[in-house]
Amino acid sequence: MSSFWKGYVLMLVLALVLAAAAFGQSGSTEDRVRELEKQVEQLKAEVAAMKGGTPAGPAGEDRVAELERRLEVLAGEIEKLKIGEAAAAADQSDYGLGPAASKVYRTERGLSIGGYGELSYEHVGGETENHAAQGEDEEEAAPGDHLDVRRAVVYFGYKWNDRILLNSEVEYEHAGEEVSVEFAYLDFLWRPQLNLRAGLLLMPVGFLNELHEPTVFLGADRPEVETRILPTTWSEAGFGLFGNAGPFTYRGYVVNGLDARGFTDDGLRGGRQGGKEANAEDLAGVGRLDYTGVPGLLIGGSAYVGNGGQGIETPGGRKLSVGTRILEGHLEWRWKGLELRALGAQADLDDVAALNAALGLEGDESVGERLRGYYVQLGYDVLAGRGGGGNQGGAALIPFVRWESLNTQDAVPAGFQVNPDTDLDILTLGLAYKPIEQIVLKVDYQNLDNQAKTGADRFNVLLGYVF
Amino acid sequence: MCSRRRSSLLAFLLLLAAGAGDAKVFLSVDEAVKLAFPGCEIAKRNAFLTPEQVRRARELSQGEVPSALITYYVAIRGGQPAGTAYFDTHRVRTLPETLMVVVDPQGRVGRIEVISFREPEEYMPRGPWYEQFRGKALGPDLQLKRDIRPVTGATLTARATTDAVRRVLALHRVLADGTKP
Repeated sequence: MSSFWKGYVLMLVLALVLAAAAFGQSGSTEDRVRELEKQVEQLKAEVAAMKGGTPAGPAGEDRVAELERRLEVLAGEIEKLKIGEAAAAADQSDYGLGPAASKVYRTERGLSIGGYGELSYEHVGGETENHAAQGEDEEEAAPGDHLDVRRAVVYFGYKWNDRILLNSEVEYEHAGEEVSVEFAYLDFLWRPQLNLRAGLLLMPVGFLNELHEPTVFLGADRPEVETRILPTTWSEAGFGLFGNAGPFTYRGYVVNGLDARGFTDDGLRGGRQGGKEANAEDLAGVGRLDYTGVPGLLIGGSAYVGNGGQGIETPGGRKLSVGTRILEGHLEWRWKGLELRALGAQADLDDVAALNAALGLEGDESVGERLRGYYVQLGYDVLAGRGGGGNQGGAALIPFVRWESLNTQDAVPAGFQVNPDTDLDILTLGLAYKPIEQIVLKVDYQNLDNQAKTGADRFNVLLGYVF
Repeated sequence: MCSRRRSSLLAFLLLLAAGAGDAKVFLSVDEAVKLAFPGCEIAKRNAFLTPEQVRRARELSQGEVPSALITYYVAIRGGQPAGTAYFDTHRVRTLPETLMVVVDPQGRVGRIEVISFREPEEYMPRGPWYEQFRGKALGPDLQLKRDIRPVTGATLTARATTDAVRRVLALHRVLADGTKP
């Protein structure tokens, strides 16, 4: 057994043991409810028998009254067990604290376990737009057919009390070729409007960086705009504030900046540090604001501002700052079975000519001074509203179309040329089928068109799950 | 990062952690009922459904009815019914939430309050989303992606909430039918 599978099996065994321990209490609660309900039924039958068969008289009436009282007590106990801590009266005080503050002591602690995974099949055409054979480009999938256990992710959360909790994700990519902690942060909850978050944080940009489980987006592959310009999945170490006020939700963090050593003509993706002994010579701020005041509508934007120099020096010994600004706006509208998404993003970089010199990039290899892209996606669930009951129900069949356009060298410094490969349009036509909410099968065809006429079309299939 | 910057960051974290002293307040059942029916007389009642009533409630809600014992709160104002509050506890993803669903005297949704939510709060829709249910009656369009719009990132909560509302409206109708002469 490979080390990946050993690790994964161990992780699952650990998860199951922890889950059994965590749910032991809720299991015994359900048993207790059933037992009490049985007792209620017995009492009810006794009351009925007494009412129907007991001769009138003080002794018989007392017995009926006593049984009815017991019935009410048992019903009350069942209600408490069903509802949990909320059933406790607010006017009780524990541990010398005020009634509200002492509620934390009646709150169950909790371990939560979840996860998601993706298995993909990809066919990359061997012939490009100009009918030449597909070249060897390490950043593009090679022509041919590929099967990949793309991701297996385990989520652990722990709630010490109502104010302090942990969220974390451990991700195995490509069947264990890459293992990483995707995020791991502590939340210190104060009030809905103002809370603190610290640790390895997901950058709050775009649609997919924070919400990238396979069931929440259409298409086997994430849009390229949210891969090359917004480099999902993007996490950095830091701290910040989050909360909501009325229809607005916000997040604002201070984190280590990107590391410009990883920037290429293909985008900013290589600059992510992900908490791996990150260079923190330069910091960055990232913030997001969303409006959700109308059901079905999400509109908002995010901004990232910081330096990516991280100690990079020019051949002459000058330290570079490589100022990096990423602005993004997004809109989603969901109405009945309709899902519309639109997103635009632009990144602007300083010191690019000097950065190119420091990294040894020449000709058309320049990092973009400006990167720009957008996409629009429309889908319709033809099974909308036919889900029936049960919170795992709701089959969905969603044909969709996505158009995206991006250029990771929208501007380059004087003296450098633009690589026509980096100016890309992609049309995706696809279908997503969800037998239940937590499982999805996606099939799509992507037509890639770049200025160099080297784009090869793709056919993708992805099976995804969340739990 | 220079040591001075690190010290400042640590001091800020400790300051904020220390400041997070107030507990997050859940609504208790009593608080929720008083919030829903200010100035009303409130009577707590238990109903023991017959197997036929459970079957009928399942049929109407198109979902599960996990218990035959239903506890509800009837509010009376000036001698007239002001509404009925039900508490529904259900699983969202792996952890439970409890909702209070208030049904008005016409059998429509009057109000929804989240009483407790054990999943991460990112999975909880914002307030305006719950307003969609106000005034809705039990019918074929009271479903996600019909009259109820979904929420990206909180789909399971949206579905669990919609199912709970359908269940409560179905139980209310069954109980109302049971009390008719």
